[in-house]
Order: sequence, then structure tokens, then C-alpha cells
Amino acid sequence: MKKTLAFLLALAMVLGLCTCGASGAPAATQAPAAAEAPAPVETETPAEESAAVDTKILYEADDSMLNTYTLIAVNPEAPFTDADGKAVADVAVNTAGADALIHWMLSQTALDMAANFGMEDYGEHLFYVKDGAPVYEGEIAAATEETKTIRLSTTTSVKDSGLLDYLLPAFQSEYGYVVEVQSAGTGKAIAAAQYGNADLILVHSKSQEVSFVEAGFARVVEGFETERVSFIYNYFVLCGPSADPAGAAACASVKDAFAAIAGGKFVFVSRGDGSGTHTKELSLWPEDLGITAEAESFAAYTDWYTSANAGMGACLVMAEQMGGYILTDKATFLTFAANNGQIA
Amino acid sequence: MHSAVEKAIQLILSADAELCDILSVTARMSLASSLIALLIGVPLGIWLGSCRFRGRGLLLVLNRTLMGLPPVVCGLLFYMLFSGVGPFRQYKLLFTVKIMVLAQVVLITPIVIGNMESYVSGLAPAVRETAKGLGLGHFRTLLLLTNECVYQIFSAYLLAFARSIAEVGAVSMVGGAIAWKTNVMTTAIMQYTNRGNFSLGIALGLILLAVSLLVNGVISLLQRRLSR
Repeated sequence: MKKTLAFLLALAMVLGLCTCGASGAPAATQAPAAAEAPAPVETETPAEESAAVDTKILYEADDSMLNTYTLIAVNPEAPFTDADGKAVADVAVNTAGADALIHWMLSQTALDMAANFGMEDYGEHLFYVKDGAPVYEGEIAAATEETKTIRLSTTTSVKDSGLLDYLLPAFQSEYGYVVEVQSAGTGKAIAAAQYGNADLILVHSKSQEVSFVEAGFARVVEGFETERVSFIYNYFVLCGPSADPAGAAACASVKDAFAAIAGGKFVFVSRGDGSGTHTKELSLWPEDLGITAEAESFAAYTDWYTSANAGMGACLVMAEQMGGYILTDKATFLTFAANNGQIA
Repeated sequence: MHSAVEKAIQLILSADAELCDILSVTARMSLASSLIALLIGVPLGIWLGSCRFRGRGLLLVLNRTLMGLPPVVCGLLFYMLFSGVGPFRQYKLLFTVKIMVLAQVVLITPIVIGNMESYVSGLAPAVRETAKGLGLGHFRTLLLLTNECVYQIFSAYLLAFARSIAEVGAVSMVGGAIAWKTNVMTTAIMQYTNRGNFSLGIALGLILLAVSLLVNGVISLLQRRLSR
């Protein structure tokens, strides 16, 4: 009796796994999001986003809110060093695959797709194609046995926006590549490439990109002129509670808004993890506050400055809970708002 | 919580392709690592528990220390060894299920050894006497000892399996949580939590517990049957 029971249970398990594999319906992971009872969440309304998006004057004048995404191919001849600091040669980098992916991302098809991303779901553009982005019109190599796997290291903001899930399947099915996406904060994403674990990176932090190139880790992809290939951009937006106690929406510039928040000691949630968003946020505070990435610099402000050291989604949830201000990229915020406060 | 349970049921019923892939990677990884840890750990544990030799005490202390090895440290070590600039880079094991299994074996084997050792050292003197009485050689004594420990071996396996399915620090470092390749339940839960989707995280956690319950149930039944 017990034996039959055990066999039946085992059979059930095996069958369960098999049906899962066989059904292979490309079923919605949106199913959970839809099933979620539409909880009326106290979300920041778009009107509270920094004037950079709503008010025309800031849109043009405020370059400080621009967030440009750049592709950089890793150079196999770069001065890689191992954990002890010794130079390492013959590091495996899939240059053909990286080239193909960069070529494709800069092709008119992909750029159009990226520009369209978000229109269907939110009726808004989440990414814009950069003026003067070098459109690639040449041949894109198909995958071979050795070059099939492409390791792309990117940031959590990019991954969470859903752009790659939207773009990459088209690339993979047409050219036969498999793109393995690793996402981490900007610093770690770049470090992964420096340890030889990525074939190309997609980040949005100019200063760190420039250091990466100057250290010799980048190479120029055939058909382009520079190592840093910036192709799309979007804006950081300043979000906050709908009551907007700091009067951020009415400020003349985003820096004034930050000054107002600091002056009134209103809760502000910071990424605190060295990511591109964090770096941008640090640049917007009034200089006399002396806020930097170092913990000591904001030790005096912990009653309102909350350094979360978490991903964008988790920080948004935190800001939501605390009724605080936060700097975020528009794509993540829209996804967050559309999902009633949950990403994906 | 309610929405999490709803989501869990919804996910299971919809046979979501990504969830199935995550479950299958988890199953492959945890079954493989717990079995290998068992195969290595049980003989070593029995030997350590029953044989008296110089240096046994030291080995015991070392093993117990390794039991407490933080998974993330183990993951970091493997990451450094197998990364693109590491000494073992030619094996191209980083971001594969194989290296996740390897890291977990290193983590779990000391636990299996410690578990078996503590049980066997209580049992060994009596069995040795019996064996001497029967005139059995050294190897056969160990076989007899193994036979006496069948129940404990199953328990050790369940412990190993529990550790491997719940582990997140090492597998996220060396596996990279790459979608459709090395994403397991625990890393998926971590990803959703980091994005702020807490209820999906809990839903996945509930599914994980259900799978664990199933496996434990089956193996426990086997254990009772085979150790009568």
C-alpha cells in the first residue's frame, strides 16, 4: 500500500514536470500581474515628475537629466588582470558575436523597435533614438558554433525596463545567437567585463564608460568610429508624493527641486549602490551639502536622506511606502505605476 | 499573502513556460548536487566516524568549520577561479549549471560528512564488536556499518537536498541567474524581490516549498520502507 503510494507520488511528479515541458505555451508571466487584484496604490502621479519631462523649458535646457545608453564591445587584448594583479592573456571574448549584436542594435529595424517600445503598453515612448546615432546598414554575421553565445552585461535599470526582453528575441531568432544577459548595478556590470565575463556591455554612465575605454578594455567595432556607441536615451525623472510638500514640480530647474527637498528635509530615497541612477542623483544635489557615494558624507542627513542600496524597483516601493522623493528612469517608473506598484 | 497564494496557483495552472524552465533547472541542479554530495559524503562520514587514527580530531574540526562556510564566500571563490581571467577559465564553466552543482557539492558535502560521522561514532563500537565476533575483515565491517545506517543515510540525503534547493548565495554568483539557462527558484525570487515585486516572490516561495514537500514526502516513504 505504502509502496504504491510512493510510486504514485513519484509518477505524479514526473508527469507534472513533463507536462510543463511539453506544453511550452509561451504563456504570460503577465498572468500574475493581471491576476493581482487592482489594489488602489498611492502612486506618485506623473505630474510630480521633474519638470524636465513636462515643462518644455527644462526639457531643452536640462541636460543634467539625460540618461544615454551606450554599447561597448570588450577588447580581447585588454590589460586583464587576475585577482592577484598579474596580467592574464588569452581571455576568451566572443568578438564576432558582440559585433553582430552591436550591428543589429544599431540597425534601423532595431532602433525603430526601441523607439516604439512602451507605446503599446503605456502609450508613451520609453526610449528615444539619439540624434546622430550611427545607423548600421551593412551585413550582420549569422551565428556559428563557436560564436553562438553572446554574454551581455548590463544594468538592472535596463533589464527591469523590459527593453531587452522586447528586442532580443527578434535578434536571436533571425541570426541564431543566444544572448545571455547578466544584470547588476553599473559598477558590477562593468567589473564583470573587466574580469573577462562579458563580450559587451550596455550601460548608461558616461564617466564610468570613459574610464573603461581609457583603461583599454574597449575596442572599436567595424563600421563605427568610436568605442562608445550611444544609441538611445531617455530621461531621469524626479518622482514624489502627489501632495509634493517640497514644491518640486513648481521649481525652475531640477537642481532647485533638489535644493528644495534638501532644505525642507523631505524624505528622499537614494539607490546608494553606485549605479548610473545613483551617480546622476549625486550630481544634482547642492554642492554645499557634500553628498557623495561615501557613507560618511550623508551621515548628518539620515533623518531624510535614505540610502537604500537596492535595485530601482525596490527603491520605488520604498519611496511609495515612505511618501518620499526619488530619482528614477521613466521606463521603470511607468512599469511600476502600470503594475500598481510592482515591477513585472 | 492572499494575493501571493492566488498568484502561486495562477502560475502553476497556467504552466508558464519560464516557470517550468526555472523549476527544471532547479530540479536538475539540486538533485545532482545532493546526490553527488551524498555519494562522496557518506563513505567519508562513515569512515571518519568509525575508524580511529591520528589526526582524526583535526579532520573533524576542519570538517565542522567547512560546514559553516558561507555560501556567498564559496560562490565568490568559484567565481574568481573560473571567471574570464581566472586560472580555470579554459573550462568555460562560469554561468553554467555544472559550476552551480560544483559549488553546491563543496558546500553540502561537509554537512553530509558531519551528519554521518556524528551518527556513526555512536553506533560504531557495538558494530565493531559484532563484526569481530563474526570474524569480518575491515572492509566488510564498514559494509555492515553502512547497512546499519540506511535510515540515517536517507535523512542525510534529505538534509543535503534541503540545503541545495534553498541555497541562493553561491548559485547566484557563479550562475549569474541567466534567464532560461541558470535561473533557479531562489535566484528568481531574489530578482523579483529586488524589483519590488514582493508578492510574486512569495508566490514562487510557496511553489518552492510545495516542491520540497513533495520530494521529502516521497523520500521519507522510501526511507520507511527500506529501513525496516
